[in-house]
Amino acid sequence: MTTSVDQVMVSVTEGSLPRVLNDLREAGLVVDTVLEALGVVTGTVEVRAIPTLLSVSGVLDVERQWRVQLPPY
Amino acid sequence: MTEPAEVETTGRFLVLLQEDAIEEGVAELGAIAGFDPNSGDLDPETVQVFPELGVAVVSADPNLLAELNGAAERPGPIQIVEPERVVHVFQDDTAAPAEEVEAAADESVLTWGLQAVGADVSTATGKGIKIAVLDTGFEKNHPDFAGRAITTKSFITGEDVQDGHGHGTHCIGTSAGPRKPATAPGYGVAHEAEIFAGKVLSNAGSGSDGGILAGIDWAVSNGCAVISMSLGADVPAGTPYSQIYEIVAQRSMAKGTLIIAAAGNASSRPARIAPVGHPARCPSIISVAAIDVNRAIAFFSSGTADKIGQIDVAGPGVDVYSSFKLPEKYARLRGTSMATPHAAGVAVLIAEKTGARGYELWARLALSSLRLPLPSTDVGGGLVQAP
Repeated sequence: MTTSVDQVMVSVTEGSLPRVLNDLREAGLVVDTVLEALGVVTGTVEVRAIPTLLSVSGVLDVERQWRVQLPPY
Repeated sequence: MTEPAEVETTGRFLVLLQEDAIEEGVAELGAIAGFDPNSGDLDPETVQVFPELGVAVVSADPNLLAELNGAAERPGPIQIVEPERVVHVFQDDTAAPAEEVEAAADESVLTWGLQAVGADVSTATGKGIKIAVLDTGFEKNHPDFAGRAITTKSFITGEDVQDGHGHGTHCIGTSAGPRKPATAPGYGVAHEAEIFAGKVLSNAGSGSDGGILAGIDWAVSNGCAVISMSLGADVPAGTPYSQIYEIVAQRSMAKGTLIIAAAGNASSRPARIAPVGHPARCPSIISVAAIDVNRAIAFFSSGTADKIGQIDVAGPGVDVYSSFKLPEKYARLRGTSMATPHAAGVAVLIAEKTGARGYELWARLALSSLRLPLPSTDVGGGLVQAP
């Protein structure tokens, strides 16, 4: 059975970086970028692990990334 | 429920649950869709619950949709049910038809857009102010930008910042391009601003939230006063705004960076007014509508269709002449994508002239806008005006 993974963005409380990164990784997040100025981490996670990410101390929200597309000229 | 006919859907449904009754809502969903919410290990293909958002995504056949809609109409924890959408963005962001090239304004010196926002009579130039344009990159060989201070960075894997699309170069031109290029008209609002060109959309015009957020982070870290984002995704009315973009926008503003984004081009006026797209529908991101040379609302301009995404200001967004990738070099385009860099350029001029940043800059931009005899639901506070 294939595992469903998704690209997500995670917002964390002010000052919780970089401490929260270890907990996020333990919860299953493969970290892509750490956006320190924004307090946001992006990465990839198994869809079923998203609730676990949400329960990590310091995490405010987890959302799946959207894709945007401009039309061709 | 408002649902545009052209929206592609995935066969799954988004369910908005009452904020203080998430568990009850999931239990009711389980009763309808046939899963046990207490089994502890729900198949994400069947249902996903985002308790922080109060949203669940469920797979359901059309029979179940009828039941779910019934539940939404009754008092109870299930509030709104919508088909999950496939994202396609700003489809009308296209080159203007040939007949539109005959503008009703004199463009022998400056574009009609620069005249409409009063850039032609402003003493501000944007000098000393940094503006980030997050888009498809920048045409590095464009002669009109020779000698300008331009910082670039690509957030697209495998592509450098060179603009293989044209959209980004057009938006940079409107917000911060020259007033006196070799061939008239001049087309840049904040013509001495320091440009930060972040490539968050590929040469094929596609990107994702991860790259966009990385671009915002880059702009904030570099002290840009304004971010211009002519991008987004159209959404059905009632769609909650992204909590993460909202936090990001609040934090950016607190650090002195104002985010200005395109409302979207999903309307087919007068028949249909589409709601403001993602991420412009976030309350702390300025949402820009498009007007034409006659100061009428553009037929495609998304509008205030519900309480979530509201139009803040309007800018010139039809038959907009600006720089483009080579070999074309120039193009006339239309879209709220073109209105947005007008508003961002004006914000830069206000930032230079008043020293305002963040929410104060927002207030000055909104309050100084020229009121138009159009519904505020279409144009917000009106047409942005250079100081």
